[in-house]
Amino acid sequence: MATQEELKKANDKLNQEVKIALANITLNKTLGKMCGDYPAKRAKANIGIDFEANKEKLVAAKEDAANNVDEMIELFTKNATARGAKVFRAKSNQEAMDFILKFCEDRNAKLVVKSKSMASEEIHMNEVLEDHGIDVFGADLGDFILQLDHNTPMHLVLPALYLNRDQVGDLFTDFQKHEVSHKIEDETKEARKIMRDKFIRCDVGFSGSNCAIAETGTVCTMTNEGNGRMVATLPTHHLYLFGIEKFVRRFKDAEYVFRVLPRNGTGQRITAYLSMYTGTNQVVMDKETDKKADKEFQIVILDTPERRSVLADPDFRKVFNCIRCGGCQDMCPAFALVGGHAFGSRVYGGGIGVMLTQFLIDPVRADAIQNICLQCGRCLDVCPVGMPIPDMIMILRERKAKANPSSVQRFAIETVNNRKLFHSMLRIASVAQSPFTKGEPMIRHLPMFLSNLTVGRSLPAVAPVPFRDIFPTIVQNVKEPKGKIAIFAGCLLDFVYTDLARDVVLDLNSIGYVVDMPMDQGCCGSPAITMGDPDNAVEAARNNIEAMHAEDYDYIVSACPSCTEELRKYETFFEEGTEEYKKAKELSEKSYDFCKLFYMLGGLQDSGNDTPMKITYHDSCHLSRALGVTEEQRALLTHTNGVELTEMFEHDNCCGFGGAYCIQYPEISQKILEKKINNIKDTGADYVIVDCPGCMMQITGGVDAAGLPVKVKHTAQVIAEKRGLV
Amino acid sequence: MSMITDEVYDRFKAALEAVAGKCYRTTKADLGKAVVKALKEDYGYTDACLAETPLLKEAGVLEALKGDGITTYTDHIRLHQETAKGGITESQYAIADLGSIVQTGTEVDRRIVACLSELMICVVKGSNVIAEWSDFFDTIGALPEHPNFVGIVTGPSRTSDIEMVSVVGVHGPLNLTAIVVEDE
Repeated sequence: MATQEELKKANDKLNQEVKIALANITLNKTLGKMCGDYPAKRAKANIGIDFEANKEKLVAAKEDAANNVDEMIELFTKNATARGAKVFRAKSNQEAMDFILKFCEDRNAKLVVKSKSMASEEIHMNEVLEDHGIDVFGADLGDFILQLDHNTPMHLVLPALYLNRDQVGDLFTDFQKHEVSHKIEDETKEARKIMRDKFIRCDVGFSGSNCAIAETGTVCTMTNEGNGRMVATLPTHHLYLFGIEKFVRRFKDAEYVFRVLPRNGTGQRITAYLSMYTGTNQVVMDKETDKKADKEFQIVILDTPERRSVLADPDFRKVFNCIRCGGCQDMCPAFALVGGHAFGSRVYGGGIGVMLTQFLIDPVRADAIQNICLQCGRCLDVCPVGMPIPDMIMILRERKAKANPSSVQRFAIETVNNRKLFHSMLRIASVAQSPFTKGEPMIRHLPMFLSNLTVGRSLPAVAPVPFRDIFPTIVQNVKEPKGKIAIFAGCLLDFVYTDLARDVVLDLNSIGYVVDMPMDQGCCGSPAITMGDPDNAVEAARNNIEAMHAEDYDYIVSACPSCTEELRKYETFFEEGTEEYKKAKELSEKSYDFCKLFYMLGGLQDSGNDTPMKITYHDSCHLSRALGVTEEQRALLTHTNGVELTEMFEHDNCCGFGGAYCIQYPEISQKILEKKINNIKDTGADYVIVDCPGCMMQITGGVDAAGLPVKVKHTAQVIAEKRGLV
Repeated sequence: MSMITDEVYDRFKAALEAVAGKCYRTTKADLGKAVVKALKEDYGYTDACLAETPLLKEAGVLEALKGDGITTYTDHIRLHQETAKGGITESQYAIADLGSIVQTGTEVDRRIVACLSELMICVVKGSNVIAEWSDFFDTIGALPEHPNFVGIVTGPSRTSDIEMVSVVGVHGPLNLTAIVVEDE
């Protein structure tokens, strides 16, 4: 277990790297463009593909291999060997590296050319061989550029994207000792020239694998540049390295891997080259005599304790299903800003990179970088194996919090859970905030160490009267009520957005439902979960199950998707069959987001005043992904007379709030928000509709700081206003 | 042997052209002429390596090339492909949906031609063009012995490693032309 000091050092290092990344204009431009273009490019490549059907087959194939890994190793070794390959099973990274070094030294190799291999990065192959006087060249253009820059991969597929053409040109000029033009086409031509010489002269070729097929003894390498084929076709000695997680059982299984790997990886239907090697192949031993013979084909399988520990961990076994497409990186709003040097380790980055770093590279580094995950879930939209990345990161977070409980975080959570204390503190804050609000509804500048919280985003003031005090004063005119609904206000509706809470009540009244507010309700427990403290989340759940009296109501409504998601999870906190479980289940099953509930209960009407209202819509991560609500609110809005909806670019991308995230990484949060504000601006809408108070806070703050005349409203508010309920 | 249908050919052609490849259709009788055109007229090349197969021999491709003054090497391809511009061979399959040609088998000359040339000219029999990705796996899977090498090549080599700008022609061929031969 890492010490507090090691963790602090890792966090400080990471914070520095984040700052450097955010200030890198090239990175911002290239990575930003890549991630921005990615969803559409990927969608185009997927036309005609049944992604879900392939996911089912792919997961079945990968799980079969993972569940039978010893059999896979045995089968593969037998079949590859029968076709003339040699197979060495390395039981540790060190063993693999020792073997590879000896292999090269025994053959007097002076030059090794590598096509691409993340596993080789794991075992520090380049450095070890170089230290022993053996030249190693990464032939993949990105790898070669990294080598010249003495740096590590920034992205799984496009490792050198953080450099622009001028920087690359300078690196080439330095290496070649003559001027190399800064035009990308010329740089590529130069790389071709340099590498062609290396391919032809090299003593040993080295490859990595995308997939290894046990039944046929086949290894597969996918590239665009042709570097894989070069190292497999020209040198007389060919070294091939892969980890045990690369196996599938049957040749047919490779169909599922390679159907989605290029589409997700580069937005191509297939890369230029996909090569499958079964045993050895013929090479030319001497180009002068044209003598041909089978090459020496040496395969090294990484069967290390680190990899086995992944399989042994029931919460993380699924990591073996990953096909390394990089989709999770490309969809991640945080990765799009900081790249893999910050949101990653020296080998792997992005969402899956957190897990791979934890188990295979450096758990202390993993502890630090897992914080960069916003928990928005956008990666889930594209993963070809349905990897539950945010949940897995949350488990790591929980394990870390258990091992190293931060006293500040515990205090914060325990305070929030102590309802009376928390609510008193918020009432005090409402009064004490006046120097910061200066009489305005927004806090625009906080002093000193808190000042970066208000860069690019103003904070809303705490409401002078909390909703729990306003509620009893609301007149509910419901003739012949169809049912009774309890409102779960949640902290933001109770203490900040009280008008929104009122509109929720009035909207439901208008379709025949009476609303009650059980006053003993407290925090839903979501902040505790986010900070890796499930015990306090269970306490919060117990409090609310008691307080909400679900048995007395037809439904429980919430206008905060995080709260709704949390309420709907309560049953999972308790043992099935117990009294607690039954009560929790009743509450969970009755809990709905306002938009979904209102739509379900017949709230969709072609009504509302005809006053024109040009809107755009921001999909909150929790509402769209965790709760799957994307269409109901759009229907409610577009059926409202006078409303005109223009969808914004990346309407499904995070606003950057992320709960505690905006406090932990305010710079990243602010840049994500900046993108969102620009996307809103580009629609020309006068209103942005946002159905999450966290997003409302973030976006309202961003709009205010940017001086944009755009109003932020919740669907419930639009309905209430347009239907004349307020 | 069934002929390639127009539909399958059109699909193959469209997919290959979409990745900057060229595609022609010809008969066995005209194959020699088609290869010469693909090399000399399209690119102005006057030398090539030819990794022969029975079809290429029967169609007299070597004679057609030599007859047009093209320096053609049929052996020592490892040596000559370092400098010769064209690389000509026959692929064992193609996949119409993706515009891919597929080489199978251990013969190194065919693989060198696909790696080292500046222009790869790949002849494929119409009856060996498989329509779909999944059918391809079924076809290879049904072979009596799994080939030592299966290489799926889709257009010329490319990269976007620098600033995400797509450049065609990296380590492998700068250009690729497929010539589909109607079966008799």
